[in-house]
Amino acid sequence: MSCEHTATLVAEYFDDTLAVQQRAEHDSHRLQCLECQHALNAARAATAHLQRWREQPVPEWSRPRAAASQLPRPAARWQWWQWAPLAMSFTLALAVMANVQVGASTEGIEIRFGPAPEVAALEIEARLSAFEAQQQLALQSLTQALAEQQRADNARLMEAVIDSVVDQFGDSTARSLEQVIAYFESQRQQDLQLLRTSYQQLADSDYATIRSVEQLASLVQGGQP
Amino acid sequence: MIRAALEGSARAWDNLVRRHETQVYNFSLRLTGNPTDALDLMQDVFLGVYRNLHRFRGESQFTTWLFRIAHNKAIDMNRRRPLFSSLDSALEDGGDMLEVQAQRNTDAPEQDPLAQLEESLRNAVIMSHLSTLPLAQRLIVELKVFQSHTFEEIAELQDISANTAKTRFYAALRKLKALMEQDHVM
Repeated sequence: MSCEHTATLVAEYFDDTLAVQQRAEHDSHRLQCLECQHALNAARAATAHLQRWREQPVPEWSRPRAAASQLPRPAARWQWWQWAPLAMSFTLALAVMANVQVGASTEGIEIRFGPAPEVAALEIEARLSAFEAQQQLALQSLTQALAEQQRADNARLMEAVIDSVVDQFGDSTARSLEQVIAYFESQRQQDLQLLRTSYQQLADSDYATIRSVEQLASLVQGGQP
Repeated sequence: MIRAALEGSARAWDNLVRRHETQVYNFSLRLTGNPTDALDLMQDVFLGVYRNLHRFRGESQFTTWLFRIAHNKAIDMNRRRPLFSSLDSALEDGGDMLEVQAQRNTDAPEQDPLAQLEESLRNAVIMSHLSTLPLAQRLIVELKVFQSHTFEEIAELQDISANTAKTRFYAALRKLKALMEQDHVM
């Protein structure tokens, strides 16, 4: 019958780190277990056989001599100056992104963010030109729309007039057209007459005013010695 | 010495290699079974040490850390070509071990040649016995018997539990004892 402790007991016999208490327990078990005694004796004989090994001298071989000067360095703690290149790179990248410009003038050193003033003026001018062109385009478009609207309104007005005339004079036959033309002509004559009368009244009024002023002037002049 | 080697001292690095090379070479020899492969493995180990020396924090002994690298390099090498593949032929034709011994005789002529031969043959038998073990067991025996690692350290290296490491160690010793009896090794 095999002992379940044999492997552990034999192995731990060769373990120098075994606690005194545990070693005492092993010794106690071994005194009672014949199988463990035999196994341990066999193991000791095997290790004794191995320990008869005689160290062999190292034959001539090519030692990695030159490698020592190229040994990888240990990962040393980072010093503040080791961050300097990284910080410099970061600052330069930030300066490029923010378009920082440093210049010297009579008033001292000048730091600018963004483009130079002359560049800004040119940019503003270009933007104004673009805005003007855009406005002109919009105005042109609006004018065209108004003209369209006007034409549409005129057409509607004409249709309304024709409808009115048709209502007044019947179907739009050739006779009716003559009547319409005659109606427009009579209207135009009336308008001209009305306009003439108005101009005459205005002229008369002006003449009356001039005469009054002349009378007043002659009266003023006649009153003087 | 480690710090000096890290700071670029070629002399410190050379001293470091020389201090540990015998231990690493014998480890490699027991695992591979022949001096040629042992030198290859040793080269891999010290290159691994060279590349990772800056990671050594001193939390464990340098030898423990060194043999962790050696352990992993042995597994890598075994993946590329099975270790001990050339042991049989080496033993049959007198072996590379005897070549090494001849070199040793030249280096230390004062030592008894017969005693040296006995040592070489004993080592060859040990290597022959070790070669019958699976690599995982062979590494456990190596780390426990020759490098005095704890079972916890071995378990961590092999990513197994300490109890599994103990069981494998016991199984390896049983097998070695059986081989000893078979070869009448006392």
